[in-house]
Amino acid sequence: MNFIVIVSVAVVLFALRFAKLNALGWAVAWWVGVYICFRYGVVPPVPASIMSMYMFIVTLVLVAYVSAAHDRMKEVTDSLIAFFVNPKYKIALGLSLLLLPVLVAFQVYTGMTSQPQPPISGRTVHPPPPGNISFQGKQIDLLTVHNPYRDLADSDPQAFSAHVNAGRSIYYQNCVYCHGDNMEGDGMFAHGFDPIPANFQDPTTIAMLQESYLFWRIAKGAPGLPSESTPWFSAMPAWETFLSEEEIWDVILFLYDYTGQLPRASEEVH
Amino acid sequence: MLTLLLLAAGTASVSAQNIDLGSDAQRDAGKQMYELKCAHCHGADGAGDAAMSELLRPAPRNFTSSTFKFRTTGSGELPSDDDIKDSIRKGMPYTGMPPWPSLSEDEVTNLMYYIKTFSDDFAGVFGEVTPLEMPDPPSMSEESIIRGREVYIENSCADCHGEKGRGDGPSAPTLEDTWNYPIRAADLTKRWAFRGGSSRSDIFRTFTTGLDGSPMPSFDIQPPEDQWNLVDYVYSLSRDEADYGTMVVATTIAEPIDVNNAASVFDGIDPVLFAVVGQVIEPGRAFFPGVNGVEVRSVVSPSTISIMLQWNDMSAETTGIAGPGLGAPDRTADEDTSITYADAIAVQFPSGVSAGTGKPYFLFGDRKASADLWFADLSATQATHYTGKGSGDIQLDETRIEMSSSYSDGQWTVIMQRDREISGHAAFTEGTFVPISFSVWDGFNRERGNRRGITMWYSLYIDVAVKESPVVPMISYGFATLLLGLITTFLVRRKFGDKESA
Ligand code: HEC
Ligand code: HEC
Ligand code: HEC
Repeated sequence: MNFIVIVSVAVVLFALRFAKLNALGWAVAWWVGVYICFRYGVVPPVPASIMSMYMFIVTLVLVAYVSAAHDRMKEVTDSLIAFFVNPKYKIALGLSLLLLPVLVAFQVYTGMTSQPQPPISGRTVHPPPPGNISFQGKQIDLLTVHNPYRDLADSDPQAFSAHVNAGRSIYYQNCVYCHGDNMEGDGMFAHGFDPIPANFQDPTTIAMLQESYLFWRIAKGAPGLPSESTPWFSAMPAWETFLSEEEIWDVILFLYDYTGQLPRASEEVH
Repeated sequence: MLTLLLLAAGTASVSAQNIDLGSDAQRDAGKQMYELKCAHCHGADGAGDAAMSELLRPAPRNFTSSTFKFRTTGSGELPSDDDIKDSIRKGMPYTGMPPWPSLSEDEVTNLMYYIKTFSDDFAGVFGEVTPLEMPDPPSMSEESIIRGREVYIENSCADCHGEKGRGDGPSAPTLEDTWNYPIRAADLTKRWAFRGGSSRSDIFRTFTTGLDGSPMPSFDIQPPEDQWNLVDYVYSLSRDEADYGTMVVATTIAEPIDVNNAASVFDGIDPVLFAVVGQVIEPGRAFFPGVNGVEVRSVVSPSTISIMLQWNDMSAETTGIAGPGLGAPDRTADEDTSITYADAIAVQFPSGVSAGTGKPYFLFGDRKASADLWFADLSATQATHYTGKGSGDIQLDETRIEMSSSYSDGQWTVIMQRDREISGHAAFTEGTFVPISFSVWDGFNRERGNRRGITMWYSLYIDVAVKESPVVPMISYGFATLLLGLITTFLVRRKFGDKESA
C-alpha cells in the first residue's frame, strides 16, 4: 500500500465537496480517484487485466448510483446533453472529439508493442485439509487429532518447555532458510521463491489455523496441496521425509511460542 | 592465573579509561533477548551453535574470540559499540545473519552490551577503541575508475578476487577463515551481496580496516587519492541491485545457431538474472550452494530453440562425475572424498504444456506431470536429456540437445539448442509462455543430484516471428472512435439542439 497516494486522493475528494460539483462531476471524480488508488496506491502494481476488471466494476457501481435516483439521473443527462449542444462547450467538444481517437490509437500502440506479461495464476492460500492423512504408515484423522504436548503447558510446564526447545532446534536447522530467523517469511533463500514462505508473525497465518491443519501442511508440504493451491510452485517441503510425528508437533509448539500466537481452538470451526 | 591477573589489570583500567560495558540491567535485558533470538545460532555461551555451524557458511560468529568483520576500527582491533549495533541492525545479506529492523534502539544496545560479555577483551586494555576517520567520498569519474583498476592490480586484489572481480583469483579455492571453514573471496560483480554494505563508503571501510576473521586483509593504500580510485573501480564492476527477473524472451532469428560460434547472436540481447538458492526441500540438501544466480538469454529460429546460460564460479571443475540423479547425503559429512564431481547445469521445462492443467513439480517433475531436463555435464562435450517424474525417477532418453561450453575469468558460458517440436516433449509455440527453471551444480562444493542450486518456475516467452505493425490498427481504431464521436454529436444535437438553444 502506498498510503501517500491513497490519502491524497481522499483529501482531494474531500476538498471537492466544497466545489459545487453536479452528479456527473462526482461520478467522474470518484472514477478517477479509484483508478489512481488502484493504479498507483497498491504495491506490487495490480496487473492490467485485473485493473480493467476492477474499473469495470467501479463503473457499474457509479452508473447504478447515478441512475438510482431520478433527479441525479436527470442532472447527469442534462449536463451530458449540454456538453454536446451548448455553444459554450464548443471548443471543449471539438478537442474531445479529436483527442479521444488519439488516445485510443495510443492505447492500441502500447497494447501491441509492450512486453507480454507472464500469466499470473491465483492460488488458494488455505485450502480445506483432507479428512485424514497417512503419515509414515500411520493413519491420522485430521478432524480429531490434536497436539499431544499442548496440554503439558498446564500440567507439566517443564516437559512443555523441553518440547518447545526441541521444536526450536528443529526450526533453526530446517525452516530458518525460508521462514526466516524472525519467522517473517524472509529467510536467506526466500527471495528465490514465489509464493513467498509464510510469515508466521502475520495474524492471518498460524493464528487463524488449527494445529491439526499445521500438522497436515508441515507433513505433506507443497506436494500435498490440492491443485487450486498450485502445488507445483510452492517450495514448502514435505517434512514427513525428514521429521517424526513428535518432531512435527514440537516445531508447531515452537512456532506459536516464538510468535506469541495461539492456535485457533477446534470448537470454532463448526 | 595469568588470565586472572590480566583480568584484574583489565578491570583496573576499565575504571581508569571509562570503558562502557553497560549497566547490569542492560546486560540482563540483552541476555534475555539474546537467548530468545540469537542463541540458537550464536550459542548460549556465545561460542557459536555446533549444529548451526554445520549448516551455515559463513558459520554463525563465535563471539568468545572477539573477532569482528565489520569495524570502523583498525585491523585486529575490537569494534566500536556502533559497529556491533550496525551489524545487528543491518545483518549480512546472503548469509544466515539476518537484519533485525524490528528491534528497538534500546534492544540493540542491550544486545551489544551482552555480546561484549562473551570476551574478556572488551573489559581489558583493548576495550577502548577509537574509530578511524571515514572521509566523505569524493565524486566518481571515468579517470578514477581507470586508475582504480591499476591500484587493484598493484595490490594483488586479483589474487583472490580475480582478473574481472568474479571471486575467481588463483588463491580463491584455498581460502579458509580463522575458524578453519572454507570461505570464498567476494564476487565483486555482485555488490548487492556484500556482507558489509555496498555503498562506496562501505567498500572504502572494507579494505581499509579488513574483515577480521576472514582472509580479506586490510590495506594501507597510498597516496590517499588511490584509496578512492580503488573504491570507484570496485564500485564500477557491478550494478546497484540484483534486479532478479521472472521472464526471459526468446528472440526470433532466421536460422538455427551454430552452438560453437554463437557469441555474435547473443551479444545484442540483454540477459535476465534469475536468483538461484539452495535446494533445502528434499533430502540431499544444499545449505550453502556455490552459485547464487544464473543469467539467461534465448533465441528461437523456425526449427530450433536455443538457450545461453552464464554464471560465476570461482573454479571450473571439468573432471569428475555429474548427474541429476546422483545420490547426495543429507547433512552427513561427505563419505568418499576420492570421488570428485564436475560442474553441471540443467534447464527444465514441463514435458507437455496442456493449458488449464497443472504444471510438473518444480523439482524434476512429479508422477502426474513429467519435466524435461536439458543436462549439461561440464566434464563432457555433449549434453544429455532426461525426463523427470520426481527426483527419485529421472530417466535418460534419446532427445538430442546440442551443447557448447566455455569457462573464462570465473564465468561459465553454456549454450544448448534443441529442435523446436519433438513429440512428447515441451513445445515452443510462438506467442506462448513456457515455464522454465534451472539447476546448477558446483563441483567444488561437491554438489550432485539433489545437492544443488535451484530456481522455481519462471517464464520463457516465445516471441512471435512476424510482428504485426501497429500502424493499421492504430489508424482504424482511431478513425472508428472519431466517427463514433461525430455520430453521437450529430444525433444528440438533432434531438436536443433546439430545446437547449430555445
Ligand atoms: C524451501 C523453503 C521452505 C522451507 C525450508 C520451509 N518452508 Fe514452510 N512454507 C514455504 C512456502 C513457500 C510456504 C507458502 C506456500 C504454501 O503454503 O505452500 C510455506 C508454508 C508453510 C506453512 C503454511 C502456513 C499457512 O498459513 O498455511 C507452514 C505451517 C509451514 N510452512 C511450516 C514450515 C516448517 C515448520 C518448516 C520447517 C520444518 C518449514 N515450513 C520449512 C517454504 C518453506
Ligand atoms: C540463523 C542464524 C543467526 C541468528 C538467529 C543470528 N545470527 Fe548473528 N550471525 C550469523 C552468521 C551466519 C554470522 C556470520 C556472518 C558473516 O561472517 O558474514 C553472524 C554474525 C553476527 C555478528 C558479527 C558481525 C561482524 O561484524 O562480524 C554479530 C554482532 C551478530 N551476528 C549478532 C547477532 C544478534 C545480536 C542476533 C540476535 C538478535 C543474531 N546475530 C542472530 C547467524 C545468525
Ligand atoms: C587473500 C585474499 C584476498 C585479497 C588479497 C583481497 N581480498 Fe577482498 N575478500 C577476500 C575474502 C575471502 C572476502 C570475503 C569475506 C567474507 O565473506 O566474510 C573478501 C571480501 C571483499 C569485499 C566484500 C566485503 C563485503 O562487505 O562483503 C570487497 C569489497 C573486497 N574484498 C575488496 C578487496 C580489495 C579492493 C582488495 C585489494 C585491495 C582485496 N579485496 C583483496 C579475500 C581477499
